[in-house]
Amino acid sequence: METKLREGKGSVALRKSEPLRIRTELKAIIYLIPFLVPFAVFYLWPVLRGAWMSLHVWGIQGMEKYVAVANYKKIFANSDFYLYLWHSLYFVLLCAPTVIILGLVLALIINQNIWMRTLIRSVFFLPYVLSVSVISFIWLRLFDAKNGPVNAFLHLIGLPGDINWLTDHRFVWWAITIATDWWTVGFVMVLFLAGLQEIPTDQYEAAKIDGANAWKRFLHITLPGLSKVMKIQIFYQIISSLKLFGQVQIMTGGGPGDTTNTMIRYIYVTGFKKDMFGLASAQSMIFCFIMLLIAVIQFKMTDRKDG
Amino acid sequence: MNKTLLNIIAIVLAILFVFPLIWMLLVSLKPDGVNVYSLSDWVNWSDLNIDNYVKVVRDSHILRWTWNSLVIGILTTVISILFSSLAAFAFSKLPFRTRGIFYVIIVSGLLIPTEAILIPLYETALHLKLIDNIWAIILPGLTNPIGILLLKSFMDGVPKDYIEAAQIDGSRNFRLWWSICLPLTRSAMVSVGIFFFILSWNNFLWPYLSITSEENMILSAGLPTFLSNNTMSLNLIMTASAIAAIPTIIVFILLQRHIVQGVSMSGVKG
Repeated sequence: METKLREGKGSVALRKSEPLRIRTELKAIIYLIPFLVPFAVFYLWPVLRGAWMSLHVWGIQGMEKYVAVANYKKIFANSDFYLYLWHSLYFVLLCAPTVIILGLVLALIINQNIWMRTLIRSVFFLPYVLSVSVISFIWLRLFDAKNGPVNAFLHLIGLPGDINWLTDHRFVWWAITIATDWWTVGFVMVLFLAGLQEIPTDQYEAAKIDGANAWKRFLHITLPGLSKVMKIQIFYQIISSLKLFGQVQIMTGGGPGDTTNTMIRYIYVTGFKKDMFGLASAQSMIFCFIMLLIAVIQFKMTDRKDG
Repeated sequence: MNKTLLNIIAIVLAILFVFPLIWMLLVSLKPDGVNVYSLSDWVNWSDLNIDNYVKVVRDSHILRWTWNSLVIGILTTVISILFSSLAAFAFSKLPFRTRGIFYVIIVSGLLIPTEAILIPLYETALHLKLIDNIWAIILPGLTNPIGILLLKSFMDGVPKDYIEAAQIDGSRNFRLWWSICLPLTRSAMVSVGIFFFILSWNNFLWPYLSITSEENMILSAGLPTFLSNNTMSLNLIMTASAIAAIPTIIVFILLQRHIVQGVSMSGVKG
């Protein structure tokens, strides 16, 4: 009763202030301005500007001429584009599943009552706070074919320890995946841990009484309980894998040959090494489009679940 | 599963995870040209010294880069948090009609990553004469809407009664924000702030492009210049990495509870 009364009062107040609407709006919008100014200049404007630039021949000196969709035609006619797009997708296929499975395994281990639990959790998470250049430097040397510890270790356990990790096209993507997994798995683990803590323990108790074994409990309680975090993680990992740049730029420079050139490195080389800003903008627009497509799919999927 | 087995697996994994960092530290302390390859290299600590550190600090701008990273990180974080908090306050507590439109515009910032707008962003920075200036890194760092989303969800938790009571006392909006919403969301601001600082500290691609002179670089973007510098040996490169990593590791150890909380909070939302 009381709440109803209060609601009634609120709406009356709102109706009363209607003539002053513009003032109410401005009084609120002024709080958004500090954020909106840099947001408009360094996000909204570049997005629109990029679309405009992609229709031009554009050098580092500025606009040269309007060419309509010629840049896009050029990109789609060039086999490099499909190759680099495939490389980016290939990395998604390697990195996203491995990092999610490994993160889940680590979270399940840490969620048990093990020795030195906090310390071990910190160790798993620690690499995540390092910058991409530090982790790339470390793994660049760890994977060194002659003096690297990775090959030394393989040698020690009796495997052929003479793999050219970063210069052999069969191994280079695995090398980058291993480095990336080591770097980011702690983040995945922390999110799964938060998800695990939200699963009520009485469900496990009940399942135990019903005689469900550990595997069944994992399949029927843990996994469904983590579905929300899992969904967020899958999309997050797809997007961050598509954005791959630092690791390949530092560890391989896109090599051997073109093997590890990705979408972002393609844009970087076209724009900043070849000074073709217009063409690179068109490539960026295609990349934007892919990102938006993923966002739409994600939105649709989470929407259906809530409804 | 067997308890002891699980413990052993956890410890083995932890050793594997920490191995690259220990190796980095060990190599960084070995004299130039000495490898850490066989087991005997590992246990021989007699030749460890800090000559490499002296050399890297003397011959490069690495301390300058660390300082730049710190200044940029702090400025980006503090300004971001204040701006995000103001906007979150408007979305959470002020009744206005265009709120929905503005909210959608701002949240759209989550859709397209910086990587996808590099070229026009560079062009914009060029026009504003920001290239090779630390503000070229700070200003685009203020456009991340995640802070607004997170702080809004915390401000939604500030009881209506507090706001109404203050309004009856004649407080203006700004005071409502400054003396009620800001103090009550302090812990959320710390978590979001840590998240922003890590993002800024580790930001690579944009600083790598927008900073052209060596003394204005930040740590993450400056390190790769060691690779093109042929006089740097394996050990010195590891020393440079260690210099970049050690402050981060120390801060992590000191603040790990907040860091893990901040990262998981932002991750669940994003």
